[in-house]
Amino acid sequence: MRLLLVLLMAMPLYSQDGGPARADWPHYGGTHLSWRYSALEQVNTTNVKNLVPAWIFQTGDYAENLHSTPIVVDGVMYLISARAQVTALDAATGRVIWQYRYPTPRSGIPGSHSDFIQNRGVAVGDGKVFFGTKDNFVVALDQKTGREAWKVNVDDPRQCGCNITAAPLVVKDKVIVGGNGGDQAHRGYLTAFYTRNGRLAWRWYVVPGPGEKGNETWKGDSWRFGGGSPWLTGSFDPDLNLVYWGTGNAAADFYDGDRVAPGVNKTQDVNLYTASVVALDADTGKLRWYYQEIPDDVWDFDSSYEVLLMDRQIRGQTRKILVHMNKSGLTFVLDRVTGEYLGSFNVPEIFNWITGVTENGKLAGRYEPELGETRSFCPSAAGAKSWNSMTYSTRTRFIYTPTNEICTDVTPNDNKPVEGRFVMNGNFPMKLPPNRATYSHVDAWDPVTGKRIWSMPYKFVLLSSMLATAGDLVFTGDPEGNFFALDARTGNRIWSFQTGAGHRGSAISYSVNGKQYIAATSGWHQTVVGGAAAALFPNENFRLGSTLVVFALPEGSR
Amino acid sequence: MKSVFLFGFIFIPMLAGGQNLTDVLKQGEDVFNKTCAAGYCHGAQGAGGGAPRVSARGFDQTFINNTVTRGIPNTAMPPFTNALSRADLIAVVAYVAELNGIANPTIAAGGGRDGLLEPPAAPVLSGDAARGRSLFFDAVRSFGRCSTCHEVNGIGMPVAAPIAAVPASLAALEALETPRVSTATVGGESMPALVLSNKSQAVLFYDLTTTPPVLRTEAPAAVQKRDGSNWRHSSAIGSYNEAELTSILAYLRAAVKP
Repeated sequence: MRLLLVLLMAMPLYSQDGGPARADWPHYGGTHLSWRYSALEQVNTTNVKNLVPAWIFQTGDYAENLHSTPIVVDGVMYLISARAQVTALDAATGRVIWQYRYPTPRSGIPGSHSDFIQNRGVAVGDGKVFFGTKDNFVVALDQKTGREAWKVNVDDPRQCGCNITAAPLVVKDKVIVGGNGGDQAHRGYLTAFYTRNGRLAWRWYVVPGPGEKGNETWKGDSWRFGGGSPWLTGSFDPDLNLVYWGTGNAAADFYDGDRVAPGVNKTQDVNLYTASVVALDADTGKLRWYYQEIPDDVWDFDSSYEVLLMDRQIRGQTRKILVHMNKSGLTFVLDRVTGEYLGSFNVPEIFNWITGVTENGKLAGRYEPELGETRSFCPSAAGAKSWNSMTYSTRTRFIYTPTNEICTDVTPNDNKPVEGRFVMNGNFPMKLPPNRATYSHVDAWDPVTGKRIWSMPYKFVLLSSMLATAGDLVFTGDPEGNFFALDARTGNRIWSFQTGAGHRGSAISYSVNGKQYIAATSGWHQTVVGGAAAALFPNENFRLGSTLVVFALPEGSR
Repeated sequence: MKSVFLFGFIFIPMLAGGQNLTDVLKQGEDVFNKTCAAGYCHGAQGAGGGAPRVSARGFDQTFINNTVTRGIPNTAMPPFTNALSRADLIAVVAYVAELNGIANPTIAAGGGRDGLLEPPAAPVLSGDAARGRSLFFDAVRSFGRCSTCHEVNGIGMPVAAPIAAVPASLAALEALETPRVSTATVGGESMPALVLSNKSQAVLFYDLTTTPPVLRTEAPAAVQKRDGSNWRHSSAIGSYNEAELTSILAYLRAAVKP
């Protein structure tokens, strides 16, 4: 009895009702806490071998990829394709309820971010379906009919060279959206609009303007084109009323001579608030705290990735923490109330850009690109992890993340910025590290101890998000087209299905009428990291496509 | 690839104009490094990066001409016809040809959609007008810049109709009347509205209450409209001082052809 009482008292600390997704998959990250974890347990380690496709949806938008995370609300799935074709589907049968096609977008600056064709998902809330577009509109559709309700322009792609590929985040009465373009002469921002009418609620610039705190961390006028674009989707803690977002790298990427004054102390606060995790007041967009993970990022290791919010025991105390990885694979554990550094761990096996991290979270032994030289760095700008998300299981209390072991030769230059044009200031061809037979691995990590629990190697690269379920399964897909399940406790691969095209999107789980479904996004892509992968493995043919494959257990095998 | 074969081409030797091939290739490499190798794209010497390798692929001249000038629809490869000067376009096409082992590169010539078109000539601006141009599109002003609602020479959002007549003076700009802005009432809330279309199925209008303007689609029965509004253009230009507005007018006089 006494034990039960202790358990009951301890439960709320761990249960975090807002963490797991259940019948619905209402947000990009599963829930606002971004765990990508489903509490559904009908499919488990014993019966997963019986999974079969229940239905398949081909978007018809095949030239590039299927990057997105489907959203499921009340048995209806909302799926967006690379060219912003949005479809509402009966999540049990795949029947199309409505379909919306975004008209041909206004073209951007040739060869800039604004020409990349990708879309990572919609957001649903307030009776509407929201998405961002290649030409920087935020569009709201009526959730029932798919008709446009409102749309608003965030920036002109012909000027900024930027676009929106991230899924928006709906927080209370607002929809918040980030954009990309931070590898260009551009100044990144988050923008919030009222869901009801599309009117501007707030905008927060990653790079502070003159007179604002942090502007002094920029040399001269470099803040104007300082990059930092928060190009993915953030998280929200309703109790603290804080929105958390990762910000991108400083621009120029590989050369800091024009943005950092000589002799600056690089242990903290260089080019704020790039390569940071920030906590913003959800109502006003005002900065509450920041933690800069990579002061003076000269490796394009931007910190724009997902932010996992969890409550965990640390040194005997329950702490509200966040777990956040940047492209380098260095993963930070912070107090999400204050931004205090609590610990970090580094997921790639091969790295040389730093020698380590000090006890208080400072980067030690920085190894930087040098003008006039070609230097080799591991990991690469393709990321120890790409933008695809990790997952957190509240049953094992491990995070599961795909890690790629790719290096790069960086030759920097000191080109001057031109608004809206790439200002990466370096060539950075990717290369495979020598003496390895496998170039990626799925790992389980305990975020509190920083210990790797198990590791499952894979031959090529892994660029698809992870999904954990209460059936103690971890799902993801590979570029060869396999969608597979690992045992969450051992890493053993216990099920696999060939979907016909490489995986670059994000699988989800949901249920309709008591039946659990697992939906996998199949469809490789050929630009940016997908293109780099094709160059690294020239003998492989990672197939493009854009198909959703939805699995369930056959009747009688549950 | 079908489109490559649909149109006729006239090939002329690139050196007909007396240019030195070495110089052209050097210029092409320079353009390539700044434009094509940049970012997550084709990498130095076309070795590939985020975009496919373009060296030693066995591309033929026609394919290179077409791809560089027209781009590849529905991919990240854009058309460069209007993005590069003709000389740069010729040079970069020659450079990519060289990367593919073509010894004596030629380029497509001619007009229409297949040729290498000259980009539209940008007007030469005086100091004041150039300052006005920067102010008109000034990203630092966020949604307070003119280009939030006005498109000039292809930049900016065409919310308002194209600027046909430039106000003669600062006073005229501040007194500008906006008879097309009406008042829409939706769900009991009134707002200044720029109505785009008013059809039996839907009413499309910009809500001008805040910037940026919001394009709304409403069922006709849900919207009551009346002429006139309390919206004033003078309240939309508040991020600029008088000197700045004077420079902007100088820019518009130079840029807007009546």
